[in-house]
Amino acid sequence: MRSGAALLEVQRLTKRFGGLTAVAGLDFTLGGGEILGLIGPNGAGKTTTFNAIAGTFGADEGEIRFAGEPILGLAPHQIAARGIMRTFQHNRPFAGMPVIENVLVGAHRRFSTSLWSVLAGGGRREEAELRRRAQQLVEFVGLGELLEADVSTLSFGQGRLLEIARALAGEPRLILFDEPAAGLTPAELERLGGIIRGIAARGIAVLVIEHDMRFLLPLASRVVVLNFGAKIAEGTPEAVRADPAVLNAYLGEPRNA
Amino acid sequence: MSALRWLAAFAVLAALPFFLGSYYNDVYRKLLLWITLALGYNFLFGICGQIAFSHFAFYGVGAYSIVIFLFQLELPFPLAILLGVALCALVALAVAIPSTRLEGFYLALATLALAQLFIVVLNEGGAVTGGTGGLANYRLPEVFGVRIAGPWYTVVIVTLLLGTLAVLLRLDRSWFGRACRAVRDNPQAAAAMGVDVARTKVVAFTLTSALAGIAGMVYAFVDNTVNPPIFGLDNAFLILFMVIVGGAGRHAGAVVGAILLFLLPFFLSPLIGHHHVLVFGLLVVAAMLVQPRGLIGIYDALRRRLA
Repeated sequence: MRSGAALLEVQRLTKRFGGLTAVAGLDFTLGGGEILGLIGPNGAGKTTTFNAIAGTFGADEGEIRFAGEPILGLAPHQIAARGIMRTFQHNRPFAGMPVIENVLVGAHRRFSTSLWSVLAGGGRREEAELRRRAQQLVEFVGLGELLEADVSTLSFGQGRLLEIARALAGEPRLILFDEPAAGLTPAELERLGGIIRGIAARGIAVLVIEHDMRFLLPLASRVVVLNFGAKIAEGTPEAVRADPAVLNAYLGEPRNA
Repeated sequence: MSALRWLAAFAVLAALPFFLGSYYNDVYRKLLLWITLALGYNFLFGICGQIAFSHFAFYGVGAYSIVIFLFQLELPFPLAILLGVALCALVALAVAIPSTRLEGFYLALATLALAQLFIVVLNEGGAVTGGTGGLANYRLPEVFGVRIAGPWYTVVIVTLLLGTLAVLLRLDRSWFGRACRAVRDNPQAAAAMGVDVARTKVVAFTLTSALAGIAGMVYAFVDNTVNPPIFGLDNAFLILFMVIVGGAGRHAGAVVGAILLFLLPFFLSPLIGHHHVLVFGLLVVAAMLVQPRGLIGIYDALRRRLA
């Protein structure tokens, strides 16, 4: 990696759906250990941006670089292989597996034993080692009591924590959170904030797409505000909160087009 | 400890044929082969979540290929085995690669077509496949001057069954088995975790198809005849029924389902003749409506209640 360069660089990202431009020439960067909040009203282009980074959809113009390498247009599993893991807004657990096995799926790319060695009886030590680390992650997010629990018995909030442990098991350098606060109780939100701070403290870059400003602003080290697909403000949470353009966008005051 | 248990299982299963008459020995052999097939199909359908109707066709590809390679082309025994496995893997790849690129039921459709096409090829294969009459009047070649026969050949089938189970258990308890279950449960989330969904499906399909082919090679010397009606579609559905009734996704379920549906006709046929298929249909519908986890699911529920 080039020294001083940001881990994630989004440049002139543009995505159109038919006549609608969902994201228009978006630029931003993100470094390790930083928590970047991507906010904006409904339809501002947050999810489109998220999907372009995660590989769910492509883009029409622009570039996304991760550790200096272009990643735009790669499939989701290739993005994950490069060290970018994500959570889903609507929890997507693997319903047929207990909690610990779910987290081990997140570690999929950490396994180096080939299928042939597996068939020959190899890889048991690696399996045990990664299982031990997965267990630590389950404890880190506070689900240590539920290691062997069926995922269908988890509450919504516990399911969100499982999503986080599973993403962390891939030992990501960048983790993407898709509206992590949605549907959580105030107590769960507080715990979630602590976990996200803990992740960033490990040097992992964190990108949070969020609706809930009361949750995001105290958490983020920097915020990018989108409206109608374009960046209208960027800066510290305090600066953004006072920005007239942001107030306009959120309060819906009429602007001269 | 674990090795001891495998050894004990082998000893019991392999000793049994020496106490059976030739009729019951034949029933026992077929039962072992059905369990082997159901175990492999359970990995594909129950663990990896793929609906395919080609498992029994690959059993046939294995059976026919070993007979053709050995007695039509007169290849040496080890080469014939290797080529038979390679052929199964190749056909499996040719079907799986295009169909997993498409969404949903295309694998089911493609494998249904393959199973039908296989029967057509057998019937129209002329001297190579023996046409509608198939191939017969061959015998297992001697290995190191010994011709394995009678209960000793049943020991070969026991080895096949336990070998298949060992391979499937190894796969299931590794990152690969977990990836298969993840693909079954939620493909989008699996991809986000770095699992190459299409590749996982293709590998699971190819491996289980090759295992079915190997079982077919062993079967070829059970009846010492291979002909088109044996490998028809009704048996493809029977494997699916075995796995559903026993409990999809569980190795024990596949074993229980195979034993039940294989033995049921022996008890039902004297009572209701060929209508036993109706009972199978009712069992499958009952399993899907009442207990989607099959007989093994009922067993789990009972054990939980008693505990």
